Amino acid sequence: MGMLAWVMMGLAIWHFTIFLPDRFWGGIVGAFLGALFGSIIFGFIVSGLGVPGQSETHLLTALEAIPGAVIGIALVYAEGVRRERAPAPA
Amino acid sequence: MSPRARNGLILLFVAGLLILSLLVILPGSPAQKKTRLGLDLQGGVELVYQGKPTPQAKVDSSSISRAIEIMRNRVDALGVAEPEIQRSGDDQITVGLPNVTNVQRAEKQVGTPAQLLFYDWEENVLTSNGKTAASQLTAQDPEALRISQAAGDPSAGLSLHDAVTLAAKQPVRGGQDISRIGPQYWLFDGRKQLIAGPDETKKDLLSELSGQKAPPGSELVTVPQGTVVLQATYRKAGDKPKNLNLVKWYVLRDRVSLFGKDITDPKQGTDQNQAGSPPDVEFKFTDKGKTAFHDVTRAIAQRGQSLSLPGSQSANLQHFAVALDRELISVASIDYRNLADGIDGENGAIITGGFTIQSAQDLAKLLELGALPIGLKLISQSQVSATLGKQALDQGLVAGLAGLLLVMVFLVFFYRVLGLIACGALIVYGIYLFALVKLIPITLTLPGIAGLVLTIGVAADANIVIFERVKEEIRGGRSISAGIAQGYKKGLSAIIDANVVTLMTAFILFMLATSGVKGFAFTLGVGTIVSLFTAVLATQAALGTMSRSKLISSPAALGAGKRERRWHFDFMGASKWFFSMSGMILIIGALAIGGKGLNFGIDFTSGTRIQTALAQPATEQQVRDVLTADGYGDAKIQRVTGSALGANVVQISTKTLQPTKVESVRASLEKAFGATRSFSSQSVGPTFGQTVANSALIAIIASLLVISAYIALRFEWKFAVPVLIALMHDLLITAGVYSLLGREVTTATVAALLTILGYSLYDTIIVFDRIRENVPRMPRAAFSQIVNRSMSEVLTRSLATSFSTLMPVLALLLFGGQTLQDFAFALLVGVASGTYSSIFIASPVLDHWKGREPAYAQRRRRIERESPDGKVPAYPTPAAGADADVEPEPPKRRRLRRGPDRVTTPDQPEEISAEEFEELKRDIADDAAPAAPAAGAASRRGSTGGRKGGGGNGAPVAPETADPEPQKRTLTDPDVDPGEFVHAPDEAEGGGMAPEERPKPAAGKRPRTRRHGRPR
Repeated sequence: MGMLAWVMMGLAIWHFTIFLPDRFWGGIVGAFLGALFGSIIFGFIVSGLGVPGQSETHLLTALEAIPGAVIGIALVYAEGVRRERAPAPA
Repeated sequence: MSPRARNGLILLFVAGLLILSLLVILPGSPAQKKTRLGLDLQGGVELVYQGKPTPQAKVDSSSISRAIEIMRNRVDALGVAEPEIQRSGDDQITVGLPNVTNVQRAEKQVGTPAQLLFYDWEENVLTSNGKTAASQLTAQDPEALRISQAAGDPSAGLSLHDAVTLAAKQPVRGGQDISRIGPQYWLFDGRKQLIAGPDETKKDLLSELSGQKAPPGSELVTVPQGTVVLQATYRKAGDKPKNLNLVKWYVLRDRVSLFGKDITDPKQGTDQNQAGSPPDVEFKFTDKGKTAFHDVTRAIAQRGQSLSLPGSQSANLQHFAVALDRELISVASIDYRNLADGIDGENGAIITGGFTIQSAQDLAKLLELGALPIGLKLISQSQVSATLGKQALDQGLVAGLAGLLLVMVFLVFFYRVLGLIACGALIVYGIYLFALVKLIPITLTLPGIAGLVLTIGVAADANIVIFERVKEEIRGGRSISAGIAQGYKKGLSAIIDANVVTLMTAFILFMLATSGVKGFAFTLGVGTIVSLFTAVLATQAALGTMSRSKLISSPAALGAGKRERRWHFDFMGASKWFFSMSGMILIIGALAIGGKGLNFGIDFTSGTRIQTALAQPATEQQVRDVLTADGYGDAKIQRVTGSALGANVVQISTKTLQPTKVESVRASLEKAFGATRSFSSQSVGPTFGQTVANSALIAIIASLLVISAYIALRFEWKFAVPVLIALMHDLLITAGVYSLLGREVTTATVAALLTILGYSLYDTIIVFDRIRENVPRMPRAAFSQIVNRSMSEVLTRSLATSFSTLMPVLALLLFGGQTLQDFAFALLVGVASGTYSSIFIASPVLDHWKGREPAYAQRRRRIERESPDGKVPAYPTPAAGADADVEPEPPKRRRLRRGPDRVTTPDQPEEISAEEFEELKRDIADDAAPAAPAAGAASRRGSTGGRKGGGGNGAPVAPETADPEPQKRTLTDPDVDPGEFVHAPDEAEGGGMAPEERPKPAAGKRPRTRRHGRPR
C-alpha cells in the first residue's frame, strides 16, 4: 500500500513539471521516470528499506514521496541542462 | 464480384445466421438450447480446493486430473445436475454444485480425501511416555496393556491437548509409508481448548483468528511429520461428541501398513451369521494388498503368540487399526490361536464400527470411487441461495435491456438513419451473442452479464467511429455511397486496433482470473468479436445496399446535413491546467491511500461473509448476541437495506469459517429468528486471497506490457509511452477514488480495472490514429498544431463513444445488483478517467515528447520566427505559414494495381456518383489552371508532383535532393531554412477549425468543398 501511495504522489508531482521549461533529460518522459523512481527510492529509504503494508500506511507515507519526487525531477532537469551546455563533439 | 452482389451475399449470410440463432433461442424450437446459468444466478455451492502433496504423490497435472475425475464421480454419485469441476491455476480445483444448499454436506462428500490407512495398532500407538505399546507389553506395562486392549475405544484415549502435546514431542520421520508430509499446527487457549487448527502453515492457522493474531495466553503446538493424532472409535453413531475438545484421541507413529489404493470392490454389508448385526463395509484386496495384508496380520499374530503367557488361558490379542482421514474407524483383533499365520487376504476383509446403513454405504462408495491422489485444502467456499440468484438474474437482465435501450436512443438521436441501422445491428448482435452463449455453452454468471452489457457499448462504439467518418466524408463533398465506402475504410483501422486491445486484455483476464471473473472475460471477448462482425461488416452491407435508396439520399438523413461543429480550442496550450487538475486529484488520492488505504474485500483479505434474510425482525445487537453465544462476538453485522429479499436482511462478516461452522451459525440464527428465507455465504482462506491478489497484479502488468507492445507495433514506440502514462493515470485515479469513498475492492473491481485498461485505449487510439494520419498531411506544422487539429477533428466522436459506453455502465449501476454495481462503479470512474486522460494526458505527453525531435523543434522555431507575436499559434495560420495540407502518398501496392496516382483518382471508382464525377472534373480544371497567387494551391498540388509526403508514423522525411522544384522541397523539408525559398503561404482554415462562411454558390453550381480528396 505504501508503494501505491508513493507512486501516486510521484505521478502527481510530475504533473506540475509542465510549468517548467522542457529542459529535462529525456523530456517529459524523463521527468516522469525521475519523479517515479525518486519517490519510490526516497520512500523506501525513509521507511527503513521497507515498504509499509496496508496497516502500516498513514498520511505521512504519501507525503514522504514528495521530496523524493522533487529530487528525482531536479536530477533529471540538471542532467538535461548539463547535456545542453556540453560542447558538441567535434 | 460487384459491391452490390457482395453486400447482398453478406446480408444473406447475416439473415441466415439470424434464423439459426433464433432457432437456438426461441422456446419450442427443435434446436432450442438451454441457457446454462452460473451458481450466482441459480443458487448453489462453489468450493475451491488447493492441492497438497502427499508422500505418495506430488501436485502436478496428472494428479490434479485424477483428483478431478474422482471428484466428478463422487458428484455424479450424489446426483447433482450439471456440476462444474475444473482446474484453476496450477494447483487449484473449483467445484460448482448448482442447487445444492448445504455447503457442509457438499464439502464432506466431494472434498473428503477418503484416505484409508491400515496400521499395526500396538506397534504404532504411543503411551504417554512416547514409547509404542508393543515395546512395553512384554514388561506388562499397565498403560500399554490398557491402550492395547481398549482397541481404539475412547476409554483409553487422551484429551486433544494431551494427545497433540505428546505428538509434538516425537521426532521427525520420513519414508514412503507415512500418510502426510510437513508439520501440522494446532492452537490452544489457556484452558487447553482448541481454538484453531490443524493447519499446514502458521499463516493458515492464524487466518482462522480475528485480526489474524494469536490471542494472549494461547499455545501453538507443532506436530512433526511422522506422527499422527487420530480420533478414537465410537461404537455408536451418536456417541461421538460434536465438540472436538471432548473427543478422545490416540497418538500413533505414522507407519502405514496398507493404503486405501490396495483394496478393491468395497460394499456395504452385514454379518450374515449374526441376526441384527450392525452394518459393515466389506472389501477385497489387490494382489499387492493381499501380500501386504497377509504380512502385517502374520506379524501381529506372531507378536500375540510371543506375548501370551505360558499356561495362561487368556489370549493376549493384538490389533489391526483402520483409519479414514485421521479418524479411527475400526481396531480389529487378530486371534493368533486361530490365525497363527495371519490372514491371507484372499477373501478380503471387513470393517466394522458404529456404522449406520447410510454411513456404511457412503464409506463403501467413497472407497469404491477411490481416495484422492493428493491432499485437498478447502481455500474458498461460497453458497448462494436460489432466491438471491434469481433476484440477481432479474436485475442483470433489466440492466442489460436498459443499457441497450439507452444506447439505441442515443444512436438514433445522433445519427438518424445510420443510427437506426446501428440499432438493427445491435439487436442482431444481441441475438447472435445470446445464441452463442447457449451453443458453446457459456455459463452465464453475474460478471458475465456485466461483460455482455459492456459489449453493447463496445459494439455501439465501432458504429460511432465509422459513422463519424462517414459524416466527415459526406460533409467533405463525397457522394453518399462514396462517403459510406470511405468512412468504413478509414474507420476500420482504429476499430480493429481498439478491439484487438480489448480482446488481449480479455484474454489475459480469462487466463489469470478466478472463475467468476473468467465468465466476464469470456463474454467480453466473444462479444467483441461478434460486435466486429455486426457493427462493421453487417452495417456496411446494409448501408451499401441502401446507398441509392431515397431513405439515405439526403446527407441530413445521416446526420451530416449541417456543417460540422468543430472544436476550436487550444488543447495543447491548456494542457498545463488539465495536468494541474490531474495532479491535484492524484495528490488527494495519494493522501487518501496513505491515510485510509484501500478497503479490500474478503476476496483479498480472507474471511467469511454471510448474507441472510431472517424470518423475524432482529436488531444488530440481537444478531450479535446469537453470534456471541457461538463464539463470534467480534463479527461485523450490518443491516442490508433496499434488498428484494425483504426488510430483515443482515450481512455478517467474520474470520474464515469452515463449512461446519457456517452451518452452525445458520442453525443458531434459525433457532433464534426462525427459518431463514435466503442464506448465502462466502468464505475465503488466506491462500485463495493471496492467489487472487497475485493474479490481479500479474494481469495488470501483463496487460500493460501487451498493450504497449501492440501500440509500439501499430504506431511507433514513442506513442506507447504516453499510452502507458495515461493508463497509469487511470488506474491510480480509480484507486484514489475507491480509497476516498471507502468502497470495497473486490475481484470484480480488478476485472473492471483491467477492462478499463483495454477500454481507455479506445479513445487514445482514435486520437493517435488521427495524429498518425495528419502528420504526413501537415508537413510544415508544429507537432502541437498537428495534435490540436487531430483532437479537434475527433473530440466529438471520442465523447460520443465514451457516452455510449457510459450509458450501459450507468444502467448497470442503477439497475444491477450489488456485484454488478461494483463492476459498474469501477467502470464508470475508469471510463470517465480514460476519456479524460486520452485527451488531456496522453496527447499532451506525446506532443511534448515528439515535439522535442529535431525536425519538429526546427518547425516550431521557424513558426515562432514567422509569427508576429513570436508564439506558435494553436492551429496553423497563414501568418505562421504552417498549414500546408497535402495528400499523403498512397501505398505502393495500390499504385501498382491502378497505375500512377492522381489526387483526383477516386478511392472507389466503382462507387463514384455522377455528381462527384462532375466535381472531380472541376478539381482537375482547378489544378490545371495557373495558380497565382495560389501558393496555397501550389502547396496543395504538391502531392501531384511526385513529392513524398511525410514519413510514415509521423517521422518527417528528408527532402529529395533530386527534386528540381525548390517550392516542393520546402514543403516537405522542415529542416530547411525557411529563408532559402519563397514560401507558399498556408491556407487559412479559419484557424483550421471554426465554421467558415462561404459565398453561396450560384444556382446549379455546387461549391467546391473538397480539397484533393481530403475532407475539411
